[in-house]
Amino acid sequence: MKLKKVMAVAMAATMVVSLAGCGSKADAPAADGDTATEAGDAETEDTADDAGTEDAAADGLISYSDLKLGEDLTDLTATITLFNHRTDLQNADMPNKQWDEYLADFNQMYPNITVEVTTDTDYAESALLRLQGGDWGDIMMIPAVDAADLSTYFLSYGDLETLQNEVRFADQWSYDGQVYGIPSTGTAQGVVYNKKVFEEAGVTELPKTPDEFIAALKAIKDKFGDEVVPLYTNYAAGWTMGAWDAYIGGTATGDPAFQNQKMLHMSNPFADQGNGAGVYNVYKILYDAVAQGLTEDDYTTTDWEGCKGMINSGKIGCMVLGSWAFPQMRDAGENGDDIGYFSFPITVDGKQYASAGPDYNFGINVNADETNQQASLIFVKWMTEKSGFSYNEGGLPISLSDNNYPDVYSAFDGIEMVANEPSVAGEEDLLNNLNADSELNFNAGGDAKVQAIIEHAANGDMSYDDIIAEWNQKWTDAQATEGVEITE
Amino acid sequence: MERQAFSLRKWVKSRKGQQTIIILAFMIIPLLLLFTFTYLPFGQMVQFSFFKMKYSTPVDKRVFVGWQNYIDVFKRKDCFSALKLSGYYIIGALFQLALALYLATILSFKTKGGSVFKALMFFPFLISGIAIGFIFKFFYTRGFVFDTVLQWCGFNLENLPYWLKDQRINNIALVATSVWRYFGQNMVLFIGAIMSVDKEMYEAADLDGANKFQQFFYIILPSIKTIVTLNVIMSITGSLSAFEPPYVITGGANGTGTYFVIMNEIAHVSQKVGLASAMAVVLLMIIFAATILQKLFFKYVFRNAYEDSEVKHKKRVKAAKGVN
Repeated sequence: MKLKKVMAVAMAATMVVSLAGCGSKADAPAADGDTATEAGDAETEDTADDAGTEDAAADGLISYSDLKLGEDLTDLTATITLFNHRTDLQNADMPNKQWDEYLADFNQMYPNITVEVTTDTDYAESALLRLQGGDWGDIMMIPAVDAADLSTYFLSYGDLETLQNEVRFADQWSYDGQVYGIPSTGTAQGVVYNKKVFEEAGVTELPKTPDEFIAALKAIKDKFGDEVVPLYTNYAAGWTMGAWDAYIGGTATGDPAFQNQKMLHMSNPFADQGNGAGVYNVYKILYDAVAQGLTEDDYTTTDWEGCKGMINSGKIGCMVLGSWAFPQMRDAGENGDDIGYFSFPITVDGKQYASAGPDYNFGINVNADETNQQASLIFVKWMTEKSGFSYNEGGLPISLSDNNYPDVYSAFDGIEMVANEPSVAGEEDLLNNLNADSELNFNAGGDAKVQAIIEHAANGDMSYDDIIAEWNQKWTDAQATEGVEITE
Repeated sequence: MERQAFSLRKWVKSRKGQQTIIILAFMIIPLLLLFTFTYLPFGQMVQFSFFKMKYSTPVDKRVFVGWQNYIDVFKRKDCFSALKLSGYYIIGALFQLALALYLATILSFKTKGGSVFKALMFFPFLISGIAIGFIFKFFYTRGFVFDTVLQWCGFNLENLPYWLKDQRINNIALVATSVWRYFGQNMVLFIGAIMSVDKEMYEAADLDGANKFQQFFYIILPSIKTIVTLNVIMSITGSLSAFEPPYVITGGANGTGTYFVIMNEIAHVSQKVGLASAMAVVLLMIIFAATILQKLFFKYVFRNAYEDSEVKHKKRVKAAKGVN
């Protein structure tokens, strides 16, 4: 009898479980809004600055800007921790300069400051967890926190006005005039190309305008015929198309406020401004290149992994991708020296700009004791000015006194770096909302609209001006939906 | 007899109590699970379809828009043109079923190497849809597998179309991958059903001089009509909600975005959760309608033969009676 009971219960349990397994197709779609693109490039977090906070800098400290490395406090004794995302710098198999080597260099100048490094592969997530748990150590790369909360977690490096003359991108993690983060390195956006292909095709001067760029592509086509693809679109991968959105801000306008502030209030922001620049001319390059047959034969079957080897061996002229792509293309074959990077071919009133932004920033624990804070300040300043970290990692120099550009940016001399300003207070979500309403999704997974440009250019069923008119219409409708005031 | 006060403990332990508890448990627990994991989320989705909202929008910030999302579904060019693509998949599904039925009939008789063929043709069904997508991406790439094979057969590369780029044929190319994947599964189901047909029927038919075609139409097909109906309904429903081939192979670009792919884009890229939910509800209605229509159709097709003969028989009996 008992056995039967047990069996009955077991049966019931099995049936329940198997029923639960019958999932329904009609379930609401999973709440996963992340459209993670592969791009590891500059993130522009929305930082708001309103409402007052207290000056977090403690009195007894020598501040970041006053600190003279190698002269002040060289006998300071402390043990500090550094929590960061660069697991590859704790892996001796990687070619990069390792944390241990940096620390050895640091200890030559400051022998009594011990730095303990911990890294995490899932950094963005675990950093936030540690931050909320408190007692996380001394230095960490600032994760995605609200700008208003910065002062509760991090020590101020000083006021924005002073630091803007010391380091690039000082305003990235600033709030109410105080700076809470110093960037570890920075990136700028351009075009990755094969120098040899350009040279052999007779393109000796890098193109600065859309017309020069198309002419260069034509020269490659004339020289090599079907052997070399002048501009590889990477249409099929999708997110590689969304990469074109990175140029609509600083690069196309030279105006740091365009992308996150002005565009939201402009009527028809995509229309031709008649100056050879602006959003209009960014995508026009793509349309013209496809229409004139300067891209790959069959765009629907482009191969992202394959393109790396192809550009390395000179089968591709250039690709429009963020600077993070440069090392991948360089290391994909034997001809790494042929790979170069140049600024996106747009000139605004005779001057070229490049959208740029910082990578993760160093933040110092505001609750650590004073000795550790001082040691941390010393370490961060040393990382920025003496370590060569940014140069080794192929990033833009962070210290403004440093003009040592790595290979990837060797062609960026004389080009003004523009970091897109965050949206103004109260409009933090407006760009996202306009993006969603218009379904254009600039810099937010809007791959389909760029793919459509290629389709229309290849099939010749829609002119570029018609495409732009449609975008403007969608944008205008979205502005109406959100009740945006049109000021320009 | 002594009247005992009702004791819950005793009742629970009694046979009757146990029976009641088990019956209730068997009923309530599955119903509860069904409600929690199926109808509750579904109800929520229907609710979403009346709001303008993103996933991240807090409940109090969601804007009620009434039927606007449904109006948009019917007004937008991309939603309903996407349904037209389902036509390709439905035609493909019918072709796939015919092919599967044909092969199943052949393989259910004694065929040399029958099981090898069965295994080979069933094999694609075992591969994950994502992997199949990647296989065919390379298969269709210009100058790769398919073009090479066709060149062996004497075709000139210049005369071959771009399988995924040419908007006139790229949907057919995608449907072909779906047919390739599923016909083996349909075939195995058909074989199973055909196996259950009484062998003596064939003998009898042979004796009566029926050929193989007649055997197929008058013995096999009527015997497996349930499976045929099921397969057709499943295939057409599947065609309306085709997702994997376009999503993996072309990413839904270049005119291959089916209803589901467009819905996914709207929900997850543009974050228009309300509109996407409305699209889901509309598709559900369409699938309901399609299923009911098919049911009626098959009822008509299959019942007809019997009813006709029955009616005729009755008439004949009546007529005979009348004569008498």
